[in-house]
Amino acid sequence: MNTGTDHIIKSYDTELTRLTGEIVRMGQLSVKQLEAAIDVVERRDERAAQRVVDNDDTIDRMEQEVSHDVVRLLALRAPMAGDLRNVFAALRIAADIERIGDYAANVAKRAIPLSMVAPVRPAAGLEHLATLAATGVRDVLAAYQDRDAERAHAVWQNDTVLDEAYTGYFRQLLTYMMEDPRNITPCTHLLFMAKNIERIGDHATNIAENVWFQVTGEPLQVPRRKLDETASADFSGLAVKPNKP
Amino acid sequence: MNSPYLRRRITNALAMVLSTLATLVGLAFLAWILWETLRQGISALNLKLFTRITAYGDDGGLANAMVGSLIINFIGIAIATPIGVLAGTWLAEYANRTKLGESIRFLNDILLSAPSIVMGLFVYTIIVLPSTALTHGSTTFSGFAGGVALALIALPVIVRTTDEMLRLVPSTLREAALSLGVPQWKLTLQILIRAARSGIITGVLLALARISGETAPLLFTAFGNNYMAINPIEKMSSLPQIIYQYANDPGDAMHALAWAGAFVITMFVLLLSLGSRLILSRTKVSHD
Amino acid sequence: MTDSAIATNPTPVAAAAAVPSKLTVRDLHFHYNGFHALKGIDMDIPEKRVTAIIGPSGCGKSTLLRIFNRIYAIYPKLEANGSIELDGENILDPGYSMNRLRSKVGMVFQKPVPFPMTIFENVAYGIRHHEKLPKAEMENRVEQALRSSALWDEVKDKLKQNALGLSGGQQQRLCIARAIALKPDVLLLDEPTSALDPIATGRIEQLVEELKSQFTIVIVTHNMQQAARVSDLTAFMYLGELIEFDQTEKIFTKPDKKQTEDYITGRFG
Repeated sequence: MNTGTDHIIKSYDTELTRLTGEIVRMGQLSVKQLEAAIDVVERRDERAAQRVVDNDDTIDRMEQEVSHDVVRLLALRAPMAGDLRNVFAALRIAADIERIGDYAANVAKRAIPLSMVAPVRPAAGLEHLATLAATGVRDVLAAYQDRDAERAHAVWQNDTVLDEAYTGYFRQLLTYMMEDPRNITPCTHLLFMAKNIERIGDHATNIAENVWFQVTGEPLQVPRRKLDETASADFSGLAVKPNKP
Repeated sequence: MNSPYLRRRITNALAMVLSTLATLVGLAFLAWILWETLRQGISALNLKLFTRITAYGDDGGLANAMVGSLIINFIGIAIATPIGVLAGTWLAEYANRTKLGESIRFLNDILLSAPSIVMGLFVYTIIVLPSTALTHGSTTFSGFAGGVALALIALPVIVRTTDEMLRLVPSTLREAALSLGVPQWKLTLQILIRAARSGIITGVLLALARISGETAPLLFTAFGNNYMAINPIEKMSSLPQIIYQYANDPGDAMHALAWAGAFVITMFVLLLSLGSRLILSRTKVSHD
Repeated sequence: MTDSAIATNPTPVAAAAAVPSKLTVRDLHFHYNGFHALKGIDMDIPEKRVTAIIGPSGCGKSTLLRIFNRIYAIYPKLEANGSIELDGENILDPGYSMNRLRSKVGMVFQKPVPFPMTIFENVAYGIRHHEKLPKAEMENRVEQALRSSALWDEVKDKLKQNALGLSGGQQQRLCIARAIALKPDVLLLDEPTSALDPIATGRIEQLVEELKSQFTIVIVTHNMQQAARVSDLTAFMYLGELIEFDQTEKIFTKPDKKQTEDYITGRFG
């Protein structure tokens, strides 16, 4: 939905455009962080991993700037209708992007201990999850920039693919751990990293819900099907009986 | 429960009826006067009225009286307008809330309601008598003296209207001009007068309408003249004075002429009133 | 960070130091009819910024504004004490020429009051009083002023028509053109949009934003939201005193004084 004509007071438009730009930049940075995190996992590069972790500060600062700009806009412009949803959504989306950045940094952080043990085969599978997540975030950011509610809805629905992939990966890691106790340490790290990536997907759907609200004014009604069944699934069918946690 | 409401409705109806009756009574008399005037003077309303002088008596017209009225009224307005407008401007702009201003307004109101015959006597004493003495009797009564007398009657009207009209101009307009650095006199002349222009003109027209019908002051100033006179130094006749003169005459033809003269004056005053209304309404511009 | 050139988080003193002060008010007191209307006002109004003055009715904001061009002087029994420095000279000094003051400080009032003349004459009138310009140059100046007040396109074909035929919003822009035609340093706006509808109001607010690059603007408004939209600094006055004076953003997000906060949140009128 296009906002159409400009405000009579041009600086108002400038401020709103700037807010959108900040969100987009934040989001792009968070995607880069995710990709960099996967990269350092593959390369097993400790120093590069630390750099990714440090970079997360930038995203945190940008989130604070967005908060500040939102308060300023609310106080000085008293936005109405579409403008109000605009500003409101920006606040929530910034928070989600900040969490995405945190998760990406967490993945990079775990790459450090992971690189200290021998490489394991399932490590390669992480990339697939990350690609799905990164695509989701990129798509939803594009939807935000273009004010495209349909595209946001598609991202929202597509998260099931990531959820299913995560469940499968979870199963794979369990199998690997059961085969050989020496794999438990690296696999546990991979488990957490996979969970982080799955959470990135969830936050992308949050962003999608906010974009939908911003454009249509209605909440995205249908409760999302969470296909992460690891909490409820029965893995007793796997080879060896798992030890008590 | 109905009683107070009913009482009010009855009172309202009663008041409506009474005020309507009062209006009708007033209108009835007005219509009657106009009708009488027309009826009585119709026999004399012809071209002769405007072309022959009063010297011919009942075979004559009122030409010299009409010319005389025009000249005397003109002199009166010509004297009263500049003095009146300037005085009114001074009152509104420079003496507005001062004690001096209040006193002058008060005096002006007294002058406004002074009996016109007093003006006549006054001008008789200050112009007619001295001019008689100075010219050894060759100039006694004069159209000029008549004009001065009428000016004294028109003056307070113009002062009052100008004063009121200028005070109606919003003070923000003055402040806006002053904020540009324009001095008071310039702003008064170029902006305020222009803003109050239509009101002031209306005031002048109304003063003219008022003096057109004045008779008493002209009796001992212009006096009257049965022949055409256009030099203000000479005695002049005027319509109101002729009406007075002819009304006393036993002849019917003279009466008819008097009525015709009355009709002419009435029409003149009517046209002036309509004209002033037109001017006032034309310059009203609506803002949103 | 934002469009205003002032640094992101300055203290009020730092803000004043960053931008030169155009009007420096020191210990200003004002009495009329024995009533002490303004009590010891100290204020630095910065150059080429929009300063808004807000406060409840009777707080003295219009009174303060009208001292800046000494328009109060035409009314009897009004007295101002203290100093207001404009470019280093005290304008309250009896020796300071009114003519000069009013060519440096222009004012636009609440009710649009065009002169009863043509549109062209309205704008040219003030100029004529101060400068003798040849015809072509005068036309240039008038056009410039009308362009600066975003009115030129609407009136360029009817400059010879009576100004009273314009709509309310256009008349107000004409009054602004009239004031800026004199190229003043300071422009005083006394509730300039109270008599206008929202769209005309929006246009005037946009105009104020454009004008601040050329003029120091002081605007009095009873509409807090307008002060929030339009100004760089806001002064809050109450009962003749200056309670708080700071960056607009700070006043409306975290004011220092409780009175300011109460007024802004609508806890007292």
